[in-house]
Amino acid sequence: MKCLVSLPEALWVLLTFVSCLSIVAATDYFERLDLTPLPLGSLLASFEFRSNESLEAYASQDFRYFPRSLGQVLQHAGTKELHLRFTTGRWDTETWGARPWDGTKEGATGVELWAWIESDTEQEAMRKWLTLNQGLSGLFCASMNFIDETRTTKPSLSFQRTGDHRNASLHLLHGVLPGKAGVASLLDGHKVFDASWQSMSVDVRPRCVSGQNCLVEIDQTIDMVLNIARAKRPREDPIPRPVQPYELICDETKPYHSQDTCYPIDALETPAWSLKDVFGRPAAGACPLAEEGGPEAKSLCLNIPHSQGVWIGAGGFEVRSPPGEAEKRCYQMIAGEPFDFDMPKTSVRTHKQIELEEELITAERTMTGHGAAKGGMRTVFTNPSATEPVNLVLFESLPWFLRPFMHTLKAQIVESEFPFEWEIIKDLYYRPAVDRRRGTQIEVVLSIPPASVVMVTYDFDKAILRYTEYPPDANRGFIVAPAVVRILDKADASGNAKAIYLRTTSLLLALPTPDFSMPYNVIILTSTVMALAFGSIFNILIRRFVAFDEVPENKIGKLVKSARLRVATLKEKITGTKADKTE
Amino acid sequence: MHLKSAIFWAVALLLPAIQCVHTSNWAVLVSTSRFWFNYRHLSNTLSLYRTVKRLGIPDSQILLLLPDDMACNPRNAFPGTVYSNADRHMDLYGENVEVDYRGYEVTVENFIRLLTDRWEEGVPSSKRLMTDEGSNILIYMTGHGGNEFLKFQDSEEISSWDLADAFSQMREKKRYNEMLFMIDTCQANTLYRQFYADGMIATGSSEEDESSYSHHADNDVGVAVIDRWTYYVLQFLENEVTSLQSEKTLGDLFDSYDVEKIHSRPGVRWDLFPGGEEAGRNRRVVDFFGNVQGVEVQDQNSKDSLREDLESLMRLVKDYEDFAAAQEKNKTMMHDAMSQRGIVQKLQVQQQNQQKAVGSMRLKKENLSVRQITGVALLAGLGGLWYLGSKVVI
Repeated sequence: MKCLVSLPEALWVLLTFVSCLSIVAATDYFERLDLTPLPLGSLLASFEFRSNESLEAYASQDFRYFPRSLGQVLQHAGTKELHLRFTTGRWDTETWGARPWDGTKEGATGVELWAWIESDTEQEAMRKWLTLNQGLSGLFCASMNFIDETRTTKPSLSFQRTGDHRNASLHLLHGVLPGKAGVASLLDGHKVFDASWQSMSVDVRPRCVSGQNCLVEIDQTIDMVLNIARAKRPREDPIPRPVQPYELICDETKPYHSQDTCYPIDALETPAWSLKDVFGRPAAGACPLAEEGGPEAKSLCLNIPHSQGVWIGAGGFEVRSPPGEAEKRCYQMIAGEPFDFDMPKTSVRTHKQIELEEELITAERTMTGHGAAKGGMRTVFTNPSATEPVNLVLFESLPWFLRPFMHTLKAQIVESEFPFEWEIIKDLYYRPAVDRRRGTQIEVVLSIPPASVVMVTYDFDKAILRYTEYPPDANRGFIVAPAVVRILDKADASGNAKAIYLRTTSLLLALPTPDFSMPYNVIILTSTVMALAFGSIFNILIRRFVAFDEVPENKIGKLVKSARLRVATLKEKITGTKADKTE
Repeated sequence: MHLKSAIFWAVALLLPAIQCVHTSNWAVLVSTSRFWFNYRHLSNTLSLYRTVKRLGIPDSQILLLLPDDMACNPRNAFPGTVYSNADRHMDLYGENVEVDYRGYEVTVENFIRLLTDRWEEGVPSSKRLMTDEGSNILIYMTGHGGNEFLKFQDSEEISSWDLADAFSQMREKKRYNEMLFMIDTCQANTLYRQFYADGMIATGSSEEDESSYSHHADNDVGVAVIDRWTYYVLQFLENEVTSLQSEKTLGDLFDSYDVEKIHSRPGVRWDLFPGGEEAGRNRRVVDFFGNVQGVEVQDQNSKDSLREDLESLMRLVKDYEDFAAAQEKNKTMMHDAMSQRGIVQKLQVQQQNQQKAVGSMRLKKENLSVRQITGVALLAGLGGLWYLGSKVVI
């Protein structure tokens, strides 16, 4: 069974950068690429592909735009809603601002999967969940079969159904496999996997528009933050080499600036770039299924100020966003004509930068303490807003060998400009671990006062594992899944409740690791000692010292002597008779 | 009923006879080393992967086991690529690669399960070796090895006896027609010394007490990129076996071994192959490396065999009809087995329900102080009892 068949055929078409003009709501397929230059020479590229299928067609396995292999796996596992994320890298909030899609299309480092599974009992839901993981691991060539009961949790507050479900007996199961995700290349793997941060997501959910039939929608996004200078390195020789002196960009305002002294400020300049530079090839024109017009027909968007000049090729029309909205311009491509544009070099000092949305809260999680027996976990929240407190849920799914003590859970305000008393921990949901069967699940509802930094800490013990439970590279440590922070009580422009998520980084836990060469060492040392001891004692017991002439006759020696004597006499007889004869 | 027998009679004409030609080609390519400095083992395996794909074997019939991710390793100066040559002409990894077992999944247990197809429920078919008795299998292993063992991921070993037993299980289960076993490690020839299943040709890169060497290193990648024996095997395959129509034989391949270049003595084992060395040498390389399928047409000369086949089919039809009748009356053995299993399952479900899983519980702060007070009071009470008790006893 071929992997990656799950992505619709049109995604392969996108490999050549066909930008499919999209579609009014009645049709089934939508594509878009959003490019947002970020400070310090980075670029956020967000691809989105969405397609629909009517519920009857899906149920009768009449797949058109919905990938058949994924649909069959979901139906076999009784999954009604699926959210699958592959993420690596770290989102740098200070430089890049708020996360794309409000963090809803992002997952824990590695693989994160949560699904709503239809079943009557919990045990059956768990069985179907394992079937789902096995099936998806075969489909995506990712080690998701490692998401078993020990990594599965049932969060109560952190995730909510986003689809419309008629049937009520749905169980939510959530699994994280932190660490290497292992998805083979999408788009051009060489560029995607050279990104500072990338996230790929697959969302499948039912949608029922009132008065119409229900649809099953599959939404796939790929987001990546590329460093433009790095992406421009040639494939054959990507190793950065020292530049020539005349190519150095120096800060000439420094007092020491001269021929041989240079303060490099090339990081503040964004180099000139084009689609071919960054992705390896230009867009190959519009999709043949194109819509001719409409707002969704412009499928390549650049989020840059209107004052920024861009040279575009012949194959596209530009449409700028109207005043009052966020400044961006979108391009509608012509079918069959390759399209590219050239962004000139910009500098943060001379060019206007696009306003980046500020993150509502910043979360950082680290481990404290030293030694192999215990440690502590510390999560630091920073609320930059001067007036608004932030209510959030911190969800942690810890492996069973990290044993937290809930009585040590404390939240304290580290620094604040807020003068009043504030109750930080509002609520706590806790599910203890069972050794080797289930991990710890903690959900803390917190309220962070405005303009403050809050620290949430707890202590934990580390367990020692059995000899065979260590992975082959045990001394590297074990990865602890990132914490999921869900910001509550936020509404979007039209007043509907909005979900905003962010995830902390994953952590490496150094467990007490045995010296794996010890069994071998013990065996050879013990065997040597025993051999020496046995040999010496045996020797001492058996050996007797006597004078030379008292040596008792050796039986074998006697036999040998008599045999020799006989041989000698025989010889003599033969030679003697011969001698007699000759004589 | 007459229609059914007529259909079976018609089908009988299409039944194949004994298979002499293989009908599918599979490849199991295993790298057993982890860590960046074992880059060359991964590139050995990936080069074989590309060769086998070039000659037509589809990804669904290739099982690729790679324990580490060299392409996306932070130490890799060429992100997303694996090279097997210092000229960096061909990227072995970036596009169109399907790794079935990656990372911690490459273990001795999984490898033996893969060979013998003994899996638990739910394992996807991309991870299974779904061969039948007409399949030719190419098995290639590389890594660090020694006298009759091969090291998996620096933490466990597989011995030549394990391999021999696994292959004989495969023979018993009729899971292959012919197999070519290739191994590139130190003291590789010892690994196939214990094989006893027939239908196998085995070749290794070095004799006992001999090491296998790497070929060359790339200064920018920083490590050795290919091993010698694999390099010269690939050279033969790329220069001589250029397409599926190539008539080069295994004899040609093994004759191309040059001890001066490989710096170790490769070996071949023919005795397990039916027909021995002569038959083995005449097998074409593409019979194992390429996707060449044979079609077997039944020999229609003998009437007796036809009659025997028809008779067995008539018996089969009668059996099916009896089974259908019994099913209607719910008296089949399978039904008994299923109902017994149903009882067992019910028992299991009951047991599980008794140990019902506890959901996450809500903790409140007030509970803590109340509990502390209760705890202290209890301790004080017990302490008091103990003190009084010691007073009472004289």
